[in-house]
Amino acid sequence: MEPIVAGLLDALSPVTLLFVLGGVVAGVAVGAIPGLNGPMAIALCIPLTYYMSPLAAIGFLVGLNKGAFYGGSISAILLRTPGTPEAAATTWDGYALACQGRGEKALRMALYASVSGDFLSTMALIVVAAPLATVALYMGPPEMFALICLALTIIAGIGTGSLLRGLVAAGLGLLVGTVGTEPVTALPRLTFDVYQLDRGLSLIPVAIGMLAFSEILIQLERRVRRGGGQQSAVSFSAEPEARYVSWGEYRDSLRTILRSTAIGVGVGAMPGLGAPVASFVGYDQARKRSSKPEEFGSGRLEGVAASEAANSAVVGGSLIPLFVLGIPGNLAVAVLMGAFMIHGMMPGPLLFEQNAQLMYGIFGSLIVASFLLLIVGRLGLKLFCKAVQVPAAVLYPIVIFTCLMGSYLTESSTFDVKVMLFFGFLGYLMRKADFSYVAFLIGFILVPEWERALQQVVIASQYNPYLFLTRPVAVMLMLLTFFVVLKALVGAFRRHKYDGVETAAGG
Amino acid sequence: MTRIQRDGVIHVCIALGSVIFLLWVIPAYSPPYPGYGARASLVPNVSVGIMLAMSVLALVRNASAYFSGKAGRPDESEYPEEGRSNGFSQVGGMDLWHLARFIIPCALLIPVIEWVGFIPAGIAFMLVMQYLCGQRGLVAATLVALGAVFVLYIAMRYGFGVPLPGS
Repeated sequence: MEPIVAGLLDALSPVTLLFVLGGVVAGVAVGAIPGLNGPMAIALCIPLTYYMSPLAAIGFLVGLNKGAFYGGSISAILLRTPGTPEAAATTWDGYALACQGRGEKALRMALYASVSGDFLSTMALIVVAAPLATVALYMGPPEMFALICLALTIIAGIGTGSLLRGLVAAGLGLLVGTVGTEPVTALPRLTFDVYQLDRGLSLIPVAIGMLAFSEILIQLERRVRRGGGQQSAVSFSAEPEARYVSWGEYRDSLRTILRSTAIGVGVGAMPGLGAPVASFVGYDQARKRSSKPEEFGSGRLEGVAASEAANSAVVGGSLIPLFVLGIPGNLAVAVLMGAFMIHGMMPGPLLFEQNAQLMYGIFGSLIVASFLLLIVGRLGLKLFCKAVQVPAAVLYPIVIFTCLMGSYLTESSTFDVKVMLFFGFLGYLMRKADFSYVAFLIGFILVPEWERALQQVVIASQYNPYLFLTRPVAVMLMLLTFFVVLKALVGAFRRHKYDGVETAAGG
Repeated sequence: MTRIQRDGVIHVCIALGSVIFLLWVIPAYSPPYPGYGARASLVPNVSVGIMLAMSVLALVRNASAYFSGKAGRPDESEYPEEGRSNGFSQVGGMDLWHLARFIIPCALLIPVIEWVGFIPAGIAFMLVMQYLCGQRGLVAATLVALGAVFVLYIAMRYGFGVPLPGS
């Protein structure tokens, strides 16, 4: 009991509070800027933590990560350019709400859902870490392979109306993700003798191009066609109803928030699946279980809450395997693990025995960071709302310049800028032709883990496919995947009746 | 061009591209089989196979709908048309002139930075972009360009410690 109290008191010391607050503020700012994200910010800030105590350092970095998760929703809602990939699902309803003049309300709901999801996931981390991590421990390569297949199939149905188009986009994402050094032979694959491709394509330029740059191109195109004028996303209503989230509205979304939090914690605890998967699955579940699924995508608060609660809940969930097993669940936690090691700690079960006070101090910092995020988000909301009332002629060039420099920043490589431009163009084409850029990106993100699992299955089974039959969970997941695909395809062929309407732009 | 015709062209292009990848690109640009594990070409082949299969299915489905003269929804979307235009996609025609206007200056930025330096190239780029976005006030445009470029310069040079392009 003594280490618990001492650890929690450490978390409440002024110095630790100050660093956690600094981390949250910086994280929100970083997350709001397209091209900058939590893992990048953590990596860049690790040198700053050399001069901090271990608790202050970890508190600062965790605050940074939490802030970035919420910050990603700000540009997603106000500009429809997700600051971080996990905020992509927030754009669907958040931006639609902003277009209706209810952007401030969407931001508030995103904040409350983020803080709720984040706080509850932290509690889950503290209370049920060990049992959940034990489940993940039983997942071998066959289960991981099957789980990614299922995740890709589910995601392919989101982002566009057609599963066929979604799977084409996911297939393209998988293909692009295989560019680079092949893991078994360590030889270049699909690099076309371009040496910069040997290391593969970085996620940041690809994501900035697909999500941010192509979106700006389309928004500018619309603006030119409309003949200028202010973009609708930045027109806020002065009506209190359109600005504040009432208790009733929060209560209406509470079930969704709790469900999404559970999804976020579960997905976060599974190594390899990150916050984007959680937010898309959370959103999909909210839509499917809603009494008004047809309203999703056209500006429903529940949609924002579902996505934000799920992706914020991943923060706590992803720390479960790290703290209990020493396995990083996602990129941000992998970087965080590096910070632990720099400060002389090896994350894992032994940490509870060797540094119990520090561990409970970190748990305390996680809780404190949730409350600080609420305060920072509420106080900064007005500022964010004012900030986006910048004229489009000023805002868009700055965003484009940030996209270009953000791509460069990843690895200080001008090649990444070219990659970003290419994928911006590809994203523009995919959006115009109604192919899901989300499925593309998830395929791109998941392919290394998918291929690793496949290689392990092939090597362990020595090309014997019956290995799967000895793994009931893997069999169940694969059957579920086939069922989802079959159901969607049969449904598509039964329902499908094509109309020959002229395209709006004559394209 | 009707939407079904355009979709047909898109799916034919994807199917043809997939065949080229399966028959030529993937075998030519994949490492040889090392004798254990899965072949390096397996995952690319599966990815392209998915694209090919889905495109062919889409073509078959559209062709059957087109020749049977059925009218109805454009695809199997469960999402409302209104929602599609608000967040799921931005289906419509392309404006190549618009694309060229914005992508060409972006593509030229890095070579120009390497040639004349970050600050002058950045300021020129911001001025051009603002003009293309409809900004006509020279003073406002200059102030924004100077502000944005200097903030990014300071952040990258002193904040993140990143070597600037061309330095």
